[in-house]
Amino acid sequence: MIVTRVRLRDFRSYAQAELALGEGLTVLHGRNGAGKTNLLEALYFGCTGRSCRTSNERELVRFGASATRVEIDARDDDGPHSLSVGFQPGEAKRLRADGAPVDRLVDVAARPLVSVFLPDRLELVKGAPALRRAHMDQLVAALWPARAATRRAYTSALAQRNALLGRIRAGRASRASLPAWDAEVARHGIALRDDRAAAVELVREGFATLAGELGLAGEPELRFRPRSRAATAEELAAELAERTDADLERGFTGHGPHRDDLLLARDGRDLRAYGSQGEQRIALLALLLAEREALAQARGAPPLLLLDDVMSELDPERRERLAARIARHGQSVVTTTDLAHVPGAADPGVARVAVADGALRPDTPAPAWEAA
Amino acid sequence: MNAPPIQRLVTELAKLPGIGNRTAQRLAFHILRADPQEAYALADAIREVKERIGLCEVCFNLAEGPRCRICLDERRDPSIICVVEEPNDVIPIERTHEFPGRYHVLGGALSPIDGVDPEDLKIAQLYARVAEGGIREVVLATNPTTTGEATALHIAEGLRERAPDVTVTRLASGLPVGADLEYADEVTLGRAFAGRRAV
Ligand SMILES: Nc1ncnc2c1ncn2[C@@H]1O[C@H](COP(=O)(O)OP(=O)(O)OP(=O)(O)O)[C@@H](O)[C@H]1O
Ligand SMILES: [Mg+2]
Ligand SMILES: [Zn+2]
Repeated sequence: MIVTRVRLRDFRSYAQAELALGEGLTVLHGRNGAGKTNLLEALYFGCTGRSCRTSNERELVRFGASATRVEIDARDDDGPHSLSVGFQPGEAKRLRADGAPVDRLVDVAARPLVSVFLPDRLELVKGAPALRRAHMDQLVAALWPARAATRRAYTSALAQRNALLGRIRAGRASRASLPAWDAEVARHGIALRDDRAAAVELVREGFATLAGELGLAGEPELRFRPRSRAATAEELAAELAERTDADLERGFTGHGPHRDDLLLARDGRDLRAYGSQGEQRIALLALLLAEREALAQARGAPPLLLLDDVMSELDPERRERLAARIARHGQSVVTTTDLAHVPGAADPGVARVAVADGALRPDTPAPAWEAA
Repeated sequence: MNAPPIQRLVTELAKLPGIGNRTAQRLAFHILRADPQEAYALADAIREVKERIGLCEVCFNLAEGPRCRICLDERRDPSIICVVEEPNDVIPIERTHEFPGRYHVLGGALSPIDGVDPEDLKIAQLYARVAEGGIREVVLATNPTTTGEATALHIAEGLRERAPDVTVTRLASGLPVGADLEYADEVTLGRAFAGRRAV
C-alpha cells in the first residue's frame, strides 16, 4: 500500500497543508526549523494514530489552535483507502479507516505500514531493553497482524499475576490460584517469545548484510535474547512456579518474556555499550531497512520509509550506498537541509518539496495518477 | 447544579454498567419529562425484580423462588454441569439447544487486579456439588479472556485433585480470542459446544 496524499490541519507549525506523494523517493528540503520533521511526524501520526516524536500529544496541536487533524489517502491493489486522525487534548482521539470509526489504527488491516528513522530513535539501540521489546512486538504485529493481540494478552496476564503476588504478600489472598496464572502467563508468554524469535530470524541476515554495506566494520550481528528457553508453555509455567518465592519477595514476576532483549552487536560486542554514535546510527538504519525488506516479502509491499536528517551524519560514500538502497524499491520520504546531501535528489523519478513558512512547494508536477 | 433529587438519580444511573455521566444525565432528564405512569412503572419493575428474583440455591443462576427453572426441569441431565461466569452467559448457551445438562454460575472470574479471589466466586459450591456424586462431566464455559481462561485453569486443577473421575472439558476454540460469551453468535457457540475437549 502506498500513501498518495496527506492533509494536515493545525498540526505543529502547519495551519493547513496538503501534499501529494509519488511512488518512489520524495525529498523534503528547507532551513532548520522550517517544518520538515513536523511533516514526517504528521505522516506517521496519520498512518498509526500515534506520534513518533512525543508521548505528550498536546504538542502536536498548533499553538493557539484547539484541535489537530491529519488525513491520509492511500492506495493498494484493491483501490483507494483513507485514514484520518482527529485529536483534541483531553478527548479521545477520533480514528477512522475507510470512513468507519476504529479504536486503534494499528489493528486496521488496510493501512500503510510505516518505518521511521529519527535522530532520537537512537534510543532504540542505546536505551533500555523495554524499547527493543516494544519494537520487536511492533514488527511482529506488522508482519502478522493477527498476532498483535498476543502482547496485549501477555501484558494483562502478567499484570494479573503481579497483582496476585502483591495480594499474597499482603496476606489478602492465598497461593492457591497462582498456578492458574502461571499457566495463563506461560501460554501467552511462549507465543510472544516464539513470535519475536521468528520475526528477528526474518531480519537477521538482512541486518548483517545492510550493516556491512552501510559501513559498520567488523562482523555485525542481530540476535534475539529470550529470557526463557522453555520449549513449551508447561515448561515456562514450571519455571515460573520454581521462582515463586523470589517473586513473592520482590512483589513482581522476575522471569519471562517481559525480560527478553534484542542484541545489536559488532564482533560479539553489544553496540549499546561499545558502539560510537555513528555505529549506533548505522546499526539502527540497517535494522529498519532489513525490517522493511522482510515486510516487503511478507506483506507484498515495503512500508513507507521516513528518514529524518540521516544524510548529514554520514560520509559521502555511505550516503551513496544508503541512497541506492532507498531508491531500489518502495516509497520513502527523506528530509535534508541541503539537497546536495541526498545523492540522486535531482534524478527524474525523485520528487523534491521545498518546506518554508508553513507551506509545502513541490518543484515537480503531481504524479500522473493524480491528474487522471 | 441540579436539585438534589435529580443529582441522586444521575448518580444512581451512572453506577450502571456502560452508562457514563453524560448518558446518566440524559436518562435522568428523560425520566423527569416522562409521563408519571411510565416513570413509576420503571421504578416498580426495578423493585419487583429485586423482590422476586434471587439466585438459585443450587446453581446460582437467576431464580424466581429457591430454585431456577433449569434446576427444576426433570428432563435436564443432572450428571453434566456447565460452568459460566454470569447469569447472562446462560442465555446464549440455551439458545444453541446443544446443552442438555445443568449450570453453575460463578458470579464472575478470577481477577487479582480487581481483588477477585477464588473465595469471592461460587467455586467451593461447585466442588461441593461435584462431591455429592452423580456428576460425569463439567464443561468450563468461562469467557475466552485472560481472566476467564485463568478461572477455567484454576477450576480444572481443583477438580482434578478432588474428583479425578469427573471429565473436565473446555469449549472448543472458535470463539474469537478475548470474546465475551454474551456476544458470541449461536452458530459459533453451538460449534464450540459440540467440539468441547477434555482439559
Ligand atoms: N505545536 C506547535 N505549534 C506551532 N509551531 C510548532 C509546534 N510544535 C513545533 N513547532 C515549531 O515547528 C518548528 C520546528 O519544525 P521542525 O522540527 O519540523 O523543523 P525542521 O524543518 O525539521 O528543522 P531541522 O532542520 O532543524 O530539523 C519550530 O520552529 C517549532 O517552534
Ligand atoms: Mg528536523
Ligand atoms: Zn439452578
